[in-house]
Amino acid sequence: MALNYDPALIGRVFETTDPVPVSAEMIKKFTDAIGETNPLHTDPAAAAKGPYGGMTAPPSFAVTFRNGQHFFQHVPRFGKQGFDAGKDVEFVAPIRPGDSITLSSHVKEIYEKTGRTGSMVFVIVRTTLKNQKGEVVAHVDHRFMNRP
Amino acid sequence: MSTILDLHSHSEASEDSRAPLEAYLNWLRLRHAERPLHGIVLTEHRQFNAAADYRALEDKFGILVLKASEVETDYGHVLVFGVNEEMTRRFDFADVRLPAQELIDEVARMGGVAVPCHPGRPTVGLCEHYGKKPPLENVVAVEVLNGGSRKGEDERSEELVQRFGYGAIGGSDSHLVSLIGLCATRFDADVRTIEDLVRELRTGAYEPVDFRPRRKAVPHAAAVEVK
Repeated sequence: MALNYDPALIGRVFETTDPVPVSAEMIKKFTDAIGETNPLHTDPAAAAKGPYGGMTAPPSFAVTFRNGQHFFQHVPRFGKQGFDAGKDVEFVAPIRPGDSITLSSHVKEIYEKTGRTGSMVFVIVRTTLKNQKGEVVAHVDHRFMNRP
Repeated sequence: MSTILDLHSHSEASEDSRAPLEAYLNWLRLRHAERPLHGIVLTEHRQFNAAADYRALEDKFGILVLKASEVETDYGHVLVFGVNEEMTRRFDFADVRLPAQELIDEVARMGGVAVPCHPGRPTVGLCEHYGKKPPLENVVAVEVLNGGSRKGEDERSEELVQRFGYGAIGGSDSHLVSLIGLCATRFDADVRTIEDLVRELRTGAYEPVDFRPRRKAVPHAAAVEVK
C-alpha cells in the first residue's frame, strides 16, 4: 500500500479520559435538545416500570462525550486539511444517571481512497465507553477525513 | 434468454456503504416490476472476499449474486470481473494508484476483464485522464450508465464510447438499498456464473439499461395579477 504510516499506530490506545460523571440534568438537556419524547428517557416514573428499571439516556447520548473538553488531543493527521466525516455507533448497554463514563481511544483503521474531489486519507478512531463497573456501554467510530 | 445484471454495487463490506446484501435482494424482489433484474454483482471498494458465499441468499430471493471488485488506478476507478488468487497476489487491491494499463492487460491474461467505471466522473473517470495522458489499450468496455452520475457525466461517458468504440455497460454504483438496480446491463445470453459474465463482456452482446425514474417537468407557475 502506498500510504506511509507507522503500523504500530493501529490498535494502540492513545488517549484515555478521566471518568465523566453523567447526571440526570445532562440527559435532560440532551433529550430537550433532540426533542426526545420516549418516557424511558424523559419520565423517571415511567422509566422505573420499563425494561431497565429506571431512567436511561437515549442511545445517541453516547456520541456527546467526545465534544468540548473531551475532544481528541492526539488524532493522527495526514496532510493539512480535514474534517469530521461521520460516526458509526455500536450501542452495547444503557447509560444511566449517576454513571461515570471513561473513554479510551485507539486508531482502528487508516486507509486512502480517491473520489470526485481527489485523494483522501481516512483515519478511523474507535472510542470505547465504559461505565464505573468496567462494563462497555458503547463503541463510537469517529471517521476523520484528511487531504494528503 | 437474456440476462439483466447490475454490474456495480457496494454492500456494507465497503467502508462507505451501509446497505446489507439481504436488503438489496429484498428491495429488488419488491421492485421487480420497475427493475426486472436477474442478478447483481458486488464490486466492493479495493478488496475481494474470495471466501464470501451468498448461495443461501441467492436461493432465498431467487436473484443471482456475483463477486467482483472496484479498484483505483492512475486512470480512475476500474471494475475487475473474474477476480482470482493470481490477480490478488499480483496486485494490491488496496493501492489507490494501481497502473491501469498493466491492470487491464494482466487481468485479461489471468482470465478476467477490467472495465473502467464512471468514465465521465471528474478525477476518477477515464475522460479526465484521456485529456492528459495517452488512451489505454485493450479496453473491452466502459460503464456508460452509472446510477451515481451527476448531470453531464453519463453524456461524457457516451461520447467516449462513440469515439473509441468501446463496449458499454451499466451499473447502479449503489451504496444505499433503494438505489440498487437503477442502472444495469442486458446481456443477450444467459449469464449464471462469473465465468459466463467474463466471457460475455469479452465477446458477447450487451447493452446498458436505465431504470432510473424520469423526473416530471415542473410546470411554470401561472402569472398572478397583483392588485
